[in-house]
Amino acid sequence: MALKGLDIFKLSPKTNCKECGSPTCMAFCMKVAQGAVGIDKCPHMSDEALALLSEATAPPMKTITVGAGECEHKLGGETVLFRHEKTLVNKNLFAMPVGTCLDDATVDARLEAMKKIDYERIGEREYVEFVYVNCCDGAGADKYLPVVKKAAATGRVLILSCTDVDIAKQALEVCKDSKPILNGCTKDNVDAMNALATEAGVVLGVRGASVEEMYDVVAKLEAAGNKNLIIDVTGADAKETLKNAVQLRRAALKDGDRTAGYPSIVNVAKLAKGDTHLQTALASLFTLKYGSIIVMEEMGYPEALALYGLRQNIYTDPQKPMKVAPGIYPLNGATPDDPCMMTVDFALTYFLVSGEIERSKVPINLIITDASGMSVLTAWAAGKFSSSTVKKGFDELEIEKKINNRTLVIPGKVAVMKGEIADKLPEWNVVVGTREAVEIVKFLKDGEHVKAAEAVAKQKAESGFVAKKVEVKEDAPIDFDKLVYPEIKVTEQSVKFKGYDPSSPKFVTIGERIHCISPVIREAMNNYDPEPILKRAAEQIAAGATYLDVNIGPAESNGPELMTWAVRTLQENFNNVPLALDTANKKAIEAGIRVYNRTNGKPIVNSADAGSRISYIDLAAANDAIVIALCSADGIAKDNDERMHHCHNMLDRGIGLGMEADDLWFDPLFLVVKGMQDKQMDVLNAIKMFADEGLKSTGGLSNNSNGAPKNVRPIMDSALVAMCMMQGLTSAIVNPCDLRLMETIKSCDIFKNHELYSDSYLEI
Amino acid sequence: MAFTPKAQAFSAHINAVTLGTGDNSVVIGGENVLPFYTFDAPIENAPKIGIQISDLGLTQLNAPGFQELYAGCSTMAEMAKKAETVEGVSFLCLVFEGADPNGEDKSVDECVAQLKEVAAATTKPLCIMGCKNVEKDAALFAAMADAIAGKNALFLSAKEENYKQVGASVVMAQNHKMGAESAVDINLAKQLNVVIGQLGVDTQSVLMNIGTAAAGYGFEYVSSTLDRVKAAALAQNDTQLQMPIITPVSTETWNTKEAVVSEEDMPEWGSREERGIEMEITTAVACLAGGSDAVVMAHPKAIASVAKMINALM
Repeated sequence: MALKGLDIFKLSPKTNCKECGSPTCMAFCMKVAQGAVGIDKCPHMSDEALALLSEATAPPMKTITVGAGECEHKLGGETVLFRHEKTLVNKNLFAMPVGTCLDDATVDARLEAMKKIDYERIGEREYVEFVYVNCCDGAGADKYLPVVKKAAATGRVLILSCTDVDIAKQALEVCKDSKPILNGCTKDNVDAMNALATEAGVVLGVRGASVEEMYDVVAKLEAAGNKNLIIDVTGADAKETLKNAVQLRRAALKDGDRTAGYPSIVNVAKLAKGDTHLQTALASLFTLKYGSIIVMEEMGYPEALALYGLRQNIYTDPQKPMKVAPGIYPLNGATPDDPCMMTVDFALTYFLVSGEIERSKVPINLIITDASGMSVLTAWAAGKFSSSTVKKGFDELEIEKKINNRTLVIPGKVAVMKGEIADKLPEWNVVVGTREAVEIVKFLKDGEHVKAAEAVAKQKAESGFVAKKVEVKEDAPIDFDKLVYPEIKVTEQSVKFKGYDPSSPKFVTIGERIHCISPVIREAMNNYDPEPILKRAAEQIAAGATYLDVNIGPAESNGPELMTWAVRTLQENFNNVPLALDTANKKAIEAGIRVYNRTNGKPIVNSADAGSRISYIDLAAANDAIVIALCSADGIAKDNDERMHHCHNMLDRGIGLGMEADDLWFDPLFLVVKGMQDKQMDVLNAIKMFADEGLKSTGGLSNNSNGAPKNVRPIMDSALVAMCMMQGLTSAIVNPCDLRLMETIKSCDIFKNHELYSDSYLEI
Repeated sequence: MAFTPKAQAFSAHINAVTLGTGDNSVVIGGENVLPFYTFDAPIENAPKIGIQISDLGLTQLNAPGFQELYAGCSTMAEMAKKAETVEGVSFLCLVFEGADPNGEDKSVDECVAQLKEVAAATTKPLCIMGCKNVEKDAALFAAMADAIAGKNALFLSAKEENYKQVGASVVMAQNHKMGAESAVDINLAKQLNVVIGQLGVDTQSVLMNIGTAAAGYGFEYVSSTLDRVKAAALAQNDTQLQMPIITPVSTETWNTKEAVVSEEDMPEWGSREERGIEMEITTAVACLAGGSDAVVMAHPKAIASVAKMINALM
């Protein structure tokens, strides 16, 4: 939790001795609160104050590590009560109970049954992580130790449930190296149990007859210096247990009470003894409501499939897409002789598509390719789902060896890729499938895929086509001087670009309307038809755009030619209008920059990120270009700490390569209000952080209003741009034909004193 | 320092909506705390469970437990009579999937006749689910609302495409209750409630179905939407999201791979019926823990266990 400067000031010596280098204690404390200087710069801060301050900056809930080696697990460490607020960090784990009250045969049977549950679900191993070993009332070490040894032999982490210090000591001697949990500290044995757990270096479990009692025991242990704890919140019944779990978690995360901030054990086996269905119900409840370890009497496949499925969903990071592993998924009993369909690895897409295929009952090999967990169209536009990635995936997965059939159905939304895929996978009969998943059942049942594949094969046969092995050379050198593209047509344009002075402080608008996701532009780029592109350029220039963005899509086969053609066409027709070059094809950007005229400013490379596209910074540096640097790596940054971390990484890289800081324009990644309303202020604050460090910024601002009604979007975009400019945003990628937005930007430039006011300022 | 837990009751509360009439009526919603947080403030109306039966008989819900429960039943009314005796059931949920124009395409009259027979034979409140075809549902609901006038039934659901017809015929003409269905998106849920209110429908007669998914199949979106709806309704006093939430569960869970794959195909997975029951329990509880005020379920054992849990927490 962040401390305010005034809170720190209250603890300071208030002597204004200036030894810290600040003129007053107040000034010093304000700097400490901002993280600008360390508290240790003050030689007169009392130990008590220092301890309080370090406590105040500690996380509200501790992360506890249990188990050793491959069986190590982390528990707790949560920062929010609900996953949508940020993300939940450490998933809940499960335990199965054995104990001295059970006969040997039952213990053996339970441990055997437990081992049977061990499978994988979407890249995650699902099994029972703990054995909960009960030392029942009246049992001695002679009865307990054999059970502990049996449980330890499973290799799972143990939870020793034992309140007798002597028995616990002997049990620990058997298993302490595997770092079990000693769940046995009560108000009556605090000192002895604390000594035992501390010496063995294991996590100590705290119990109590009430939540107040549990809290008191924790407070005592903390006072004795032990913070390696877990709280067994199990009460007399389910109702009390829920109360305990919620009140402690809420006190820790909402009220900052760190004594409440420990992971929990919930023993549903105790709450619903002998009733498996009720235990499943309670386990589901405590998966959502703050159980860290849930003890279940029975965990067969029926329970595991449901509970682990729920857990996996709840503990997915809302900022990161859920992915399925790339591979061949044979559906409806498909064999290598059955046709293939292909889609991306975004989990929801996979479930939707595989569900529809299963409903069709037609045997199909579903091929999942690595597309960074994006949906089909998004992945395509970002260059993550292209003929090259498909070819790479086919090679890595050795699909041609594993599958005999040569029919490949690709998603209807990326029909444009058909030709390129057919070129790279010449043996295959590539067929365009449906645009939507719901149409798949009919498509397959009617045998459309077979008919289409036969047609392709027939056409190939008639044209005397012979499949040749294609070698894909990733970095084949390109002779930029020998690119072949149509002659550049220069015609008289009704609109003139007025010129741009890169040193002007005025807001830079980058017009987004020349984008291959628009069917008109895609068609024009396919045919090297300049007219539709020039028309959109003229509209945007007339509306006052500073730069024009040119997105040519993945353009795998002809990127360098297409970009060279587009850059020359636009600049030669419009007085060297400055451009942002936007494509996943780096060679295309390089080619575009080679013919780029810098009269009105450097070219912009759109865009780098801190993940797989980090090398776009190198590209910009090598070509003396500006680069848009997206402050994200895999998925959206979860908070501004992460955004700034990415920002600084990219800044370091750029500077290291000799770039000016001004040539890195940081993009906080604007988020859509419908869906991420609660993250909008984060984005605005990130812009302020960029500005405070003297950095330039930009971004696809109108993304905020995606999906909103047409009449509302300009209003939202204008309000946001005004707020962003107040925070220090220096540029945005926008639709300049949005008059309200452009008028807002011009007005803000007046208020920011970037443009001298005149009554006609809107017309200039 | 002793632990002094802070009670977090809200000044806003969820609307309380009554279904049915007389002694058998049930009240859904009304709470001013998060689900099951009785330690913050008492929850007057426990979450309710409805039992799903189809106009087509057992269809895919044909595991032994269903066969046993409905043994000897040949009509929907006979099934409904059995269904309302299941432990933990507060209302009946009649699914007219046979009306689907792309399926059996039963006529409106035929469905209305079935409904009247059920209404005459049973005493628990009725919830009527359509066939998911927006035009057919609008026609079906209008005729049914007239046919069981005065029964104070719930019609599940109106969507963006047909809320005008459903709102006018079901609530404005016959004073029944309507469900407003959106697809796991808090903004769409609010928008639908706003336009239903603008139509002149008393929003106290509206329940929300904010969408559903089975545990393991994108349930994180359902969970977070429930969390966010409750936060908006209670913490921000957003009156456009204070309608109680009803979530159909069994319609999703019995279609998942876990509940469908046969024991021959997956011997190690054990009993198919048990898998279906546990999927149903897990999903229903996760919905209730997020803030559903009522869930629609199917299997008697699953219903009994969830009811038991609700009682234990009240």
